[in-house]
Amino acid sequence: MDEYPEELRTPPVALVSLVGCPDHHPTISAHLHSQQPPINVLALPDFSKVPVVLAKKVKDSVGGDPPGGILKRDWLLKHRTKVPSLVAALFSSLDVSGDPAQWLQVCSDLENLKAAIRPRNVKLVVVVVLQSASADDINEDRMIALRKRAEVDLKYLLIYTPDDASELKQSLERLGSAFSELASTYYREEGRRIRTKVEKKSFSYPELHIRYCFKVAIYAEFQRDWIEALRFYEEAYRILREIIGTSTRLPPIQRLVEIKSVAEYLQFKISTLLLHGGKVGEAVQWFYQHNVAYKRVVGAPEAPYLHWEWMSRQFLVFAELLETSSATTQSISSLASSGADRTLTEWEFRPAYYYQLAATYLKKKQSSLDISLSMSENAAETDSSVDSVVPSSYVGQFAQSLEQGDELSMQPLTDEDYIQYTLVEGKRFQDSYEIIALLKKSYESYCNLKAQRMGSICGLKMAKEYFSLNDYTNAKPHFEGIVTLYRREGWVTLLWEVLGYLRECSRKLGAGKSFIEYSLEMAALPVPPGINITFLGLMESGPSGPPCLQQKECIHKEVLYLIGKDSGDGSSVEESTNLRLTEENPLHLEIDPVSPLRTVLLASVAFHEQMIKPGASTFVTLSLLSQLPLSVEIDQIDLQFNQTDCNFTIINEERSSSTTTTYAAEQNQRTETASSLMLTANRWLRLTYDIKSEQSGKLECALVVVKLGPHFTILCRAESPASMDDLPLWKFEDRVETYPTKDPSLALTGQKATQVEEPEPQVDLTLGAMGPALVGESFMVPVTVSAKGHSVYSGELKINLVDVKGGGLFSPRETEASSLDSHHVELLGIAGAEWEDESQSGSDGNINRIQHSFALVSVPSIKNGETWSCKLEIKWHRPKPIMLFVSLGYSSQENESASQIIHIHKSLQIEGKTAVTINHRVMLPFRRDPLLLSRVKPSNEADQLISLPFRESNVLIVSARNCTEVPLQVESLSIETDVDSGSASTSCCIKPGTGTGSPGPALLVAGEELKKVFTVVPEVDSSPLSLGTVCLRWRRDSGSHDLSTCTIITTKQRLPDVNVEVSPLILSLECPPYAVLGDPFTYFVKIQNKTPLLQEVKFSLADSQSFVMSGSHNGTISVLPRSDHILSYKLVPLSSGTQQLPKFALTSVRYSAGFQPSAAASTIFVFPSKPHFKGANDGEKQLETVAAI
Amino acid sequence: MIVCVAVVGHQNNPLYIQSFTEADDALKLHHVVHCSLDVVDERVNNPKKSGPMLNETYLGLLYPTENYKVYGYLTNTKVKFILVTTDLDVKDADVRNFFRRFHAAYVDAVSNPFHVPGKKITSRTFAERVSTIVKAFGLSSAG
Repeated sequence: MDEYPEELRTPPVALVSLVGCPDHHPTISAHLHSQQPPINVLALPDFSKVPVVLAKKVKDSVGGDPPGGILKRDWLLKHRTKVPSLVAALFSSLDVSGDPAQWLQVCSDLENLKAAIRPRNVKLVVVVVLQSASADDINEDRMIALRKRAEVDLKYLLIYTPDDASELKQSLERLGSAFSELASTYYREEGRRIRTKVEKKSFSYPELHIRYCFKVAIYAEFQRDWIEALRFYEEAYRILREIIGTSTRLPPIQRLVEIKSVAEYLQFKISTLLLHGGKVGEAVQWFYQHNVAYKRVVGAPEAPYLHWEWMSRQFLVFAELLETSSATTQSISSLASSGADRTLTEWEFRPAYYYQLAATYLKKKQSSLDISLSMSENAAETDSSVDSVVPSSYVGQFAQSLEQGDELSMQPLTDEDYIQYTLVEGKRFQDSYEIIALLKKSYESYCNLKAQRMGSICGLKMAKEYFSLNDYTNAKPHFEGIVTLYRREGWVTLLWEVLGYLRECSRKLGAGKSFIEYSLEMAALPVPPGINITFLGLMESGPSGPPCLQQKECIHKEVLYLIGKDSGDGSSVEESTNLRLTEENPLHLEIDPVSPLRTVLLASVAFHEQMIKPGASTFVTLSLLSQLPLSVEIDQIDLQFNQTDCNFTIINEERSSSTTTTYAAEQNQRTETASSLMLTANRWLRLTYDIKSEQSGKLECALVVVKLGPHFTILCRAESPASMDDLPLWKFEDRVETYPTKDPSLALTGQKATQVEEPEPQVDLTLGAMGPALVGESFMVPVTVSAKGHSVYSGELKINLVDVKGGGLFSPRETEASSLDSHHVELLGIAGAEWEDESQSGSDGNINRIQHSFALVSVPSIKNGETWSCKLEIKWHRPKPIMLFVSLGYSSQENESASQIIHIHKSLQIEGKTAVTINHRVMLPFRRDPLLLSRVKPSNEADQLISLPFRESNVLIVSARNCTEVPLQVESLSIETDVDSGSASTSCCIKPGTGTGSPGPALLVAGEELKKVFTVVPEVDSSPLSLGTVCLRWRRDSGSHDLSTCTIITTKQRLPDVNVEVSPLILSLECPPYAVLGDPFTYFVKIQNKTPLLQEVKFSLADSQSFVMSGSHNGTISVLPRSDHILSYKLVPLSSGTQQLPKFALTSVRYSAGFQPSAAASTIFVFPSKPHFKGANDGEKQLETVAAI
Repeated sequence: MIVCVAVVGHQNNPLYIQSFTEADDALKLHHVVHCSLDVVDERVNNPKKSGPMLNETYLGLLYPTENYKVYGYLTNTKVKFILVTTDLDVKDADVRNFFRRFHAAYVDAVSNPFHVPGKKITSRTFAERVSTIVKAFGLSSAG
């Protein structure tokens, strides 16, 4: 695009001319230039210059000779820079209104000016510059006279006031608007004049038609009438296309060149207008049409390169236009669907596409130019005549300038001369760099669009161009960039081509390693069998020839020659002999699972067993696969393991030389010989050997080192057959696939690593624990290590407590509540070994580290046959089963570093159980019933506190049950009052009941219950009242002996709080402890009123069959405040045995509370006759006590 | 005239590619087919909003190169068919029809129990059938 003249590239700008008063020209020019649209100014200092500028050449006679060309080269430039649309004559006001001589001068200048501009139809504006001196008096008559002489409208006679700032601005604006109006009129009139010619068809040659259309369009552009301009450009383009075959004006080649040049101009204008109008779709469509129309117009066979160069330029210019046009930023997908008659594809909106095609055509030009150059070898002789060829005055034409004396005259060229000229020009031009630049643009653009395949073909072409320039250092990285994509997507033919180039680059650069790598990769490519014929004899298949089997074999042979495996004829490889490997220049190739060379050599190693015992031998299978076309004989294979002791070497028997064996012997390595190590294409070479490892842990095969020839080794990373990827490229081929091992199951599961087990431990680890653990006690678990066969050195015990049900051993919520009790089960400590010296085992002796559930203990050295033990002290806070894991790690030899650590693991599940459950019960005194109002009220609260009457002695029975299978010794059972409640000592009085409490330690067998009775008298009427904590001290009963070993454990349980109530009424029933048949006794019912109020009660006594009764059956009585009322009945028992006393019922009117004694309270035993007790005193007393309670 | 047809697999690897030209530009055609995959990717990743392209296997004209036009077709199993032709004026219906027949041939070829999915199509019957279809395309467009 840059090679176009500027006037063509930019939209036309109107041109005006200023004459006279040169002082003011800069101000006016600057103002006009900044206008929208801008106006260019041609400033002429004085009037004498005007006729020179506007001089018009004598025109060709319109009707007569044919025109010399289609477009004049300088026509546009003329209108841009030389021919103004109007002339503004500036006169000083001093001159206008000055003396007659001055006035006369003004008049004559004006006349001359008018005469000069008339033939060009240029407009005239007269500007009077108001000088400051004569600001007031402009001669009105002179002004009128001036206007008349100038023959201009009143509005084009302007006054310019330069001195006053605001006036200046106004007059500049006046000038600006008048100028633009007149300029527009001028261009319109010119345009119309030419258009009439077009419409009347008043021309005899189509060339003129085109020229006129072009001019109309240009004039329309001057007026910024883009639509009109576009219409006429298109018209011109259309006519131009028509005259291709018909015009005979010039020699054929030059004629076509001219037409194409004009077409290029028109196309450029049209595309620019369309793109600037935002009509990208139309522009692309138009360009497509243009391309179709001219693509096949190659022209004379002598100079096809002219056509290709022209085509390339078309694409390049359009690409640049598209790139600079801001409209391309809008979304492509919306544009793609907007195509009118033909849907446009995505790429056609991308500059990259056009750059790429421009490069393609330039490449075509280059190759056809080369052909043409080679055909005209004698071109050099005629160079001198070519020097004088210059572009002629018409667009797209060339002429020979001949010096005739002082003058230059233009002579038309013959086609032969012209071709000579273009050939010489073409030779000067470096097409390759231009092509590379174009492709680079395209490549970058495609890469930005993430169109990697498009990008890679551009990269490929770029690299090929470098290659053709013998610039291998630049070519190689580009080829390398592309080769990855083709490898990944498996385009073998494309890959072959690129690899061929890479190989050639490496050869030229003398890079032996990469040459061999690329050669091997090529030789191992899966070449499609059917493709040979199509590709044979292709010039474009790259330097390595067509991808076929023969070629592969050739390449392979060449590699074999280079690595010294094959003497070879060397005919094809002569030039690469410098790459031959020698002793000073050995080569190691590395192949890993992502390397493209996996196809060359794939090493799979499978152990036959996944676990082996130390020292026991197992089999390992090494399988090698190659896709190279020819068989390769391997000299030596080294297998390298992570345990270097296991490394071994396989030597080809046929090729074994004394040197290799001695080397292996020196290294003290195992050496195996194989009869033949022949690697055939697509056939696994399977080798199975036994292997043995003394060292426990992982045994893994890391490297398989294959030696081919004296100086060439391949380091191949071993792969497990189970996790082996398919071969790249070959996986798409339809080939016979076999397993790397003979055993198919091993091929599916085989691993390149195996686990060598630890040696058997010869040490016993025992965990002795008896029965379940009890919550609260420190449970001892003895751990014994006894060496039976091994001595234990640097032993270490790991102890771990794990919840059987999973989850943690403590809950975080409880951690917050109390840190002490946070763990449900806790490892408290480890009691050290008994046999150790006191001095030696300090407090820091054995326990290295103890956490709540984990401990690490170091074990001292134990000689064979000795034992060592320690005790784990574990405490349960909650009943919970746990798993105890103990593992011992030790080494059997004293030297720590040399020997291995042997591990023994033991585990034991231990139940944690609650030892005792404590229950309690509160009872009221026998046959004494206080009225507790809280009991009368119906209450739905289930967890209501127990109410105790105030200052009454209540009975509290505490029972402790052994719920384990282990007998327990109970030391004591007591109730401790809470320390924290300050007034607790006085609030309630708790005394152990007499009699039943056992003073000494009691043995509780499994399931047995221990009861103890307490008397509770609430002393304070305060609710709730804390009763205290039951405190049970017990220990595990470990038989009669060794009492000291079992520590006493205290289980505490807090008693629930109680309510204390003052009871208003207390009812007591009193009768003797027993009765005798027929013996009368008195039955008292005592009603105590504790209130300061009179209490009215109703009572009734039901009859009973077993008794004869005297006393009132029912009635209402009033009990005085704080006094008792006693009802007494005389009863005579009628039958013996346990009898129900007559039922007494009482109702308190005030509290609406009824009362009935319980059945137990109203029962009495009737003896048939008066009993005689042995030791009657004691028994009677005891019975009485019971009754009293 | 159809100069090249290709079947391209999931990993954009060629499963079948056959050119039908006398001239020695097979490699160039391979490049053309390979590049057209970019357009297929673009079409698949940015489907047009408007209706007709939705769920359409026929992708239409992929791109014109200097001498060829490339058409594409995407099966439900994401296997791509590419057609390269030198004809400047091709009827859409013809191409659609071609792809339909080509698809049928492909389905028959991969339904062969001895064919391993994902591998290249080496069936001779398929090749013959394809060349018949290719020839028929030339005839129908001429007539």
